[in-house]
Amino acid sequence: MVDKKNNLKFKTKNVSVFYGSKQAINKISLDIEEKQITALIGPSGCGKSTFLRCLNRMNDVISNCSVNGKILLDGNNIYSDEIDPVLLRAKVGMVFQKPNPFPKSIFENIAYGPRIHGIGNNRAELTDLVHHSLEQAGLIDEVKDRLDDIATGLSGGQQQRICIARAIAVNPDVILMDEPCSALDPIATAKIEELMSSLSKSYTIIIVTHSMQQAGRVSQKTAFFHMGDLIEYGETPKIFTQPDQQKTQDYITGRFG
Amino acid sequence: MIDKNIDQLKRLKLRKNAEMRLKVYGILSISLALIMLSTLMISIGLSGYSALQQAYVKLEINVDSKKVLDEKGGFSNQKALLVNWDGIVSNSFITNFPEITKRSEKRSLRALMSSNAGYELRQYFQKNPDDLDENITIWLSASDDFDQYMKGRFNTSVDEKDRRLSNQQLKWIDFLAMEKISKLKFNTSFFVNADSREPESAGILGAVVGSTLTLTITILFALPLAVMASVYLEYFAKPGRLTDFIEVNINNLAAIPSIVFGLLGLSVFLGFFGLPRSAPLVGGLCLGLMTIPTIIIASRASIRAVPPSIKDAALALGASRMQAALHHVLPLAAPGILTGTIIGMAQALGETAPLLMIGMVAFIIETPDSFTSAATAMPVQIFMWSDSAERAFYERSSLAILFLVGFLIIMNSLAVFLRRKFEKKW
Repeated sequence: MVDKKNNLKFKTKNVSVFYGSKQAINKISLDIEEKQITALIGPSGCGKSTFLRCLNRMNDVISNCSVNGKILLDGNNIYSDEIDPVLLRAKVGMVFQKPNPFPKSIFENIAYGPRIHGIGNNRAELTDLVHHSLEQAGLIDEVKDRLDDIATGLSGGQQQRICIARAIAVNPDVILMDEPCSALDPIATAKIEELMSSLSKSYTIIIVTHSMQQAGRVSQKTAFFHMGDLIEYGETPKIFTQPDQQKTQDYITGRFG
Repeated sequence: MIDKNIDQLKRLKLRKNAEMRLKVYGILSISLALIMLSTLMISIGLSGYSALQQAYVKLEINVDSKKVLDEKGGFSNQKALLVNWDGIVSNSFITNFPEITKRSEKRSLRALMSSNAGYELRQYFQKNPDDLDENITIWLSASDDFDQYMKGRFNTSVDEKDRRLSNQQLKWIDFLAMEKISKLKFNTSFFVNADSREPESAGILGAVVGSTLTLTITILFALPLAVMASVYLEYFAKPGRLTDFIEVNINNLAAIPSIVFGLLGLSVFLGFFGLPRSAPLVGGLCLGLMTIPTIIIASRASIRAVPPSIKDAALALGASRMQAALHHVLPLAAPGILTGTIIGMAQALGETAPLLMIGMVAFIIETPDSFTSAATAMPVQIFMWSDSAERAFYERSSLAILFLVGFLIIMNSLAVFLRRKFEKKW
């Protein structure tokens, strides 16, 4: 059997994040493979969300947050001066914990990203793009007749898929998901997980999750964070069946967390 | 079944009583406020409603067209200047009393007509030159004392020599009223004139237009500045000493006595920039300075009330901070900003002190027609009228107050309506 080596999307080296004087994560070095799902797991406050938010520089918004170390996206340091966070975020989309569609129509929600990036200049192109994004998010059959309805009137699961479709619409390489299912019921969660698997054929997905079952179900690789340190990183089945570290073992068997 | 011991029941009762008491206090205070408010409004209304009517006297007049028309047959202002309009009015008025021949009696009779009646007559012929050479019947304003007596607001119990109307004059008025030669009619001049020394021709229109022009400047000046300032403070300013300092000062500005803004306007807009005195432009800028902190505080509160997740969503899609603010946060904050703005505007509408400092307290008989022409504002007009000696100004200032309050009610209802309309449901 040939050892299939995937291309690396993200390379991070010694990434540390401070909120003021408080250190949130400590020298994380983690490489993320292209077109796979990588799960970040760990107890609350372990720094997994902080690390995720470094990858599209959403931490820039937090005023006293400083990031050290190197994060390379396709070989380019995203924290260098030449990289505009606005353009970076078009390449690295994000889906949040709580569904946060804009209180506008479904169409406007999806079309907003393409519009500000100048994709789809005329109405027809934009309509195509919106339909295509909704199709990829598996939502088209549910909403195609009511694209002009306010998106906040949809169910929680549908809203979250609107958010995913909205992220896809700007044609990113990577989609970051910060506990995308924690506010959803099991059926909606199942749909999102299914969607993630199908999206991973075309996008690199990095997901932060509290649910180890979810990490086990959807991801190819899993990283375990604890107290700001990366404890262990490897193939998901291996992490869940025979982890190298005692802490990982303790966490996945529910001894703490 | 819940077991209750006596102790618990006692405490439950105490709690219920306390709740009851609180409710009663609340109802009491609200009714007290309502009673005060209605007393105020009713008393102003009672003293002001009579200004809706005005005493007019019916006169029969014939004016020779040669005296006022030029060669082409148009109304000549130059010729009209030479006509003794007041004389025409008094001569016609005196024909109602053929028995009066003494000069002194004629003089006190003439005093019953408004001193502006001649002017009114001239205005009439200027508008209707075809009526020249005809015998016309026209209603002209009576004097303010005449007017007050007909409305029963003239105190006749005072000793005759201390009164503005003698017993003889009162008798004449009674006669005119009985013969239906004089009548109380709707007071049109109150709604179409600007200020005047004579209460019977003084009107509110000049002040209403002045206030409108002033507030237009205020909103154009204050709203954009205040919204930009609050967006900057909420989204772009780095937290630190300077930002804190600015924030504290904005809050302080909102509490500064309004006359200080008038002094500022006097020295900066009039003194330094040399803008015209008494102009709505300057008044609007002063009131704008005063309103800015109010709008900033309201805008920041409503911007902060927009869930941060909306901003995050926009930023994560690659929107710049400005795009996130303009496209998503401001539209959602708009109802709150609007409410704050209208409250600030209502405050500015009722403000007198800063306008006094920049000369908008002048006596102006022309309705202002531009942002730089001399004007006055409604509260200043009320202030000036209530300062006048004539009784008839008293009812006019009450009516003007009702007008001002009406404006405020309209503005506040507009605020409520707009908020309801633009509020997004999540």
